[in-house]
Amino acid sequence: MNKRSIYKRNNKFMRSILERECESKLLKYIGKRVLLAIVSILIVSAITFFAMNAIPGGPFNKEKATDPAVQAELEARYNLDKPVPTQYVLYMGKLIHGDWGVSLKTGREIWPDITSKFAVSAKLGISAMIVATIFGIVLGSIAALTRNKWPDRLIVFFTTLGTAMPSFVLATLLLLLFCLQLKWIPVYNSANPNYVLPIIALSVYPMAYITRLTKTSMLDALNQDYVRTAKAKGVSRLKLIFVHALRNALIPVITYLGPQIAYILTGSMVIENIFTIGGLGSAFVTSITNRDYTTIMAVTIFLAILMVVANLITDICYKLTDPRIDFNN
Amino acid sequence: MKKKVLSLLLAATMVFSLAACGSSSKKSSSDSENVATAVNTDTSTLYVNLASEPDYLDPALNTSVDGACLAVNSFVGLLTYDESGELTPALAESMPEVSEDETTYTVHMIESKWSDGTELTANDFVYSWNRAIAEETASDYAYLFDVVARNEDGTLAVTADDDYTLTIHLNAPCPYFNQLLAFPIFMPVPQAAVEAANPDGTTPGAWCQEAGFVSNGAFTLSEWKHNESMTYVKNDNFYNADKVELEKLNYMLSADNTATYAAYNSGDLDFIDDVPTDEIPSVSGNDEFNVVDQLGTYYVAFNVGSDLFDGMTSDQASAFREAISLLIDRDYIVETVGQTGQVAADSFIPEGMEDGNGEAYESSYYDADATGAESTEDAVKLLEKAGCEVEDNGNGTYTTTLNGETISIPYILNENDGHKKIAQCIQQDLAAVGIEMTIEVEDWNVFLEERKDGNFTFAREGWVADYDDPVNMLEIFSSASGNDDPQLGKTDSAAAPEWTAYDELIQQIYAETDSAKRAELLHQAEDMLMDTYAVIPIYFYNDIYMQKSNVTGVYATVFGNKYFMYAHKTAE
Repeated sequence: MNKRSIYKRNNKFMRSILERECESKLLKYIGKRVLLAIVSILIVSAITFFAMNAIPGGPFNKEKATDPAVQAELEARYNLDKPVPTQYVLYMGKLIHGDWGVSLKTGREIWPDITSKFAVSAKLGISAMIVATIFGIVLGSIAALTRNKWPDRLIVFFTTLGTAMPSFVLATLLLLLFCLQLKWIPVYNSANPNYVLPIIALSVYPMAYITRLTKTSMLDALNQDYVRTAKAKGVSRLKLIFVHALRNALIPVITYLGPQIAYILTGSMVIENIFTIGGLGSAFVTSITNRDYTTIMAVTIFLAILMVVANLITDICYKLTDPRIDFNN
Repeated sequence: MKKKVLSLLLAATMVFSLAACGSSSKKSSSDSENVATAVNTDTSTLYVNLASEPDYLDPALNTSVDGACLAVNSFVGLLTYDESGELTPALAESMPEVSEDETTYTVHMIESKWSDGTELTANDFVYSWNRAIAEETASDYAYLFDVVARNEDGTLAVTADDDYTLTIHLNAPCPYFNQLLAFPIFMPVPQAAVEAANPDGTTPGAWCQEAGFVSNGAFTLSEWKHNESMTYVKNDNFYNADKVELEKLNYMLSADNTATYAAYNSGDLDFIDDVPTDEIPSVSGNDEFNVVDQLGTYYVAFNVGSDLFDGMTSDQASAFREAISLLIDRDYIVETVGQTGQVAADSFIPEGMEDGNGEAYESSYYDADATGAESTEDAVKLLEKAGCEVEDNGNGTYTTTLNGETISIPYILNENDGHKKIAQCIQQDLAAVGIEMTIEVEDWNVFLEERKDGNFTFAREGWVADYDDPVNMLEIFSSASGNDDPQLGKTDSAAAPEWTAYDELIQQIYAETDSAKRAELLHQAEDMLMDTYAVIPIYFYNDIYMQKSNVTGVYATVFGNKYFMYAHKTAE
């Protein structure tokens, strides 16, 4: 066995040890985060439960008042006649057994309702995020590479517009233009709902934001020593940009994407209402207006879980893109 | 320099986009004025928007008007309404036979089937009605069965004499009982399905929470995309199926009237039940725009137990409220806010109601057209009677003080453009005598609770009748009612009117066997209510909708229900 092969073997051995250590660190880290997540969800659920019971109004308030006997029957059925802390304990007890309860407003099972609405919101949200990320990164890179020239100017102009315009204005404008003026897309089609306009409306803001982030961090990366070194070593321009600069430039984008994905998956009430989409966003807002306690709790907990998971995935992605990040810190 | 160019460019785009907004809305309004909007040519399906997602499809559990529209198109009871708004037999062979003392109704039924093909018999009604009043069903409208006598065990005195004969015993004659037979809660529900979906008694509405449930009306629900759309298909077992031309009825589930109005204009909808307030002036001349009568009153109410009346006698407090009533210019509100030809109200019972004795119920407490500036002097006299000091400023305005202080009245309402504009009108009217009114917009749910609990001074109110009889409008002010927002009979304030006589009067109306006498009692009750001026009627509601020119045969009742099943749709 020559020296070289011994070195190679040792090296392989060392690497496997390092990898295993890294893996266990990662698992430990994930375990710690999951525990923390459960605690945060418990805190969120308690705050929501007590806050919603503290605000005035109730689930059975109607323009034509509910008969007191009917109200008493309903309150007993849903445990609303008990003290709030008892209600919370009863609620969490059921939840742990997977029972999300029924809506106080419609009497309908909440869990299937949430999952089907989440499916709609997620489909829209993911499509919008894909559009926003691809266009955002491409436009951002173009803007950085053509700094102070006309493509950059044009992009800056549209991203400013995109971040400044509220979504309801944009959605209404899209509706007027594509549905009423050009008549390319129906306003309402129950058999084949067209999701193009809501996706555009949802993606414009994150796209504009990602473009600006990519541009700034790309410019930053291009000025780094390692890029200059790579350039001096004669690395091709394309490789320089897409392999060396972009990878680093993406870190802030990922930071932004994590919470943004969770946010966008939860749906937007404004866009869902304008385009008649049965998503989670309007369900959440309506449940609060109705004081539909069980639905408020279910949606909040569901969104909290989503948020926590999205943040965890973001942090793991960080590690994968940036080796400088240490799980121990 | 570069920055300057960029900012100029940005400013230009903003101006351009604002201009685009302006011109596009103008374009759409002029479109609807002159040219018929795009037409939907799918003649087998009627596309409709009523409201957003309904809470309950169960006719016994529904409480909303849009839910009642869904119910009348997918369920049918013993009686129904025809296109002229008259009651007509549906599952009854003919109008019920009524005994001489008017307390026994015998209904001979036609043979009909549920949508799944099983026979629908008199026993289905006995079951459905007893289920509607059962405590565990917790139906808001169960009180409508209070007119029906009870057996010893608490069940309704309703019997199925044979498969197709139903006998109903009432406590006392009820002039509107036939109307109840067409009301959703009196429609039959399929016993087997209802019970199968409610094994432990806690999920009474579960049987019709998804598409595919059994019903007996013109349409059955075949697809329900929650918060998006509902598709109903024709029920071939409907008793009048031969007359139904439509194959499908599709509801867009949206309460965003910008979206529904756009869908109507683009031809994606044939019928919309609401038009954005700002668009009303531009469509009111259009043939597609329909205004129909509705039995209901928009009013404002004072809390008779409010601090505002502290130190006043009950008469003084009533005089104060009457002054406020005289100051409100109803015609102005109807013309500028209502905009659809509503009638200014001069009584609480809406115009067009019957008195239960075969005549129109008529009452008038002031000249509604003369309220506002014209009545200021009368109002001033009333304010003085109420103990206020009123000073003439000489320019047609006055300064009113109570115990040396300016009067400030907080007015609560829920978030809605129309309600807000009406509040502003009233605010201006009261300013003429120097009374300040503050407008407090509240969250819908909080608003309802504050009104119900009497945590207010002055509030927006409205009531649409469930059936055509004044008692439906008057009973809400009996002290036992959950809708007695003015707190009549519920407060110990010395300024509040004595209310036991009113409560007794309502009980007397329920029990009265002579319909002429009953009509008189109804008038007495309204006189008593209007004497307090705790309720100040503003206008009588009407109902608007838009329907394409290629659609005929849709009709509405004065309760706001729309019947779509006999619609006829042509390709152009």
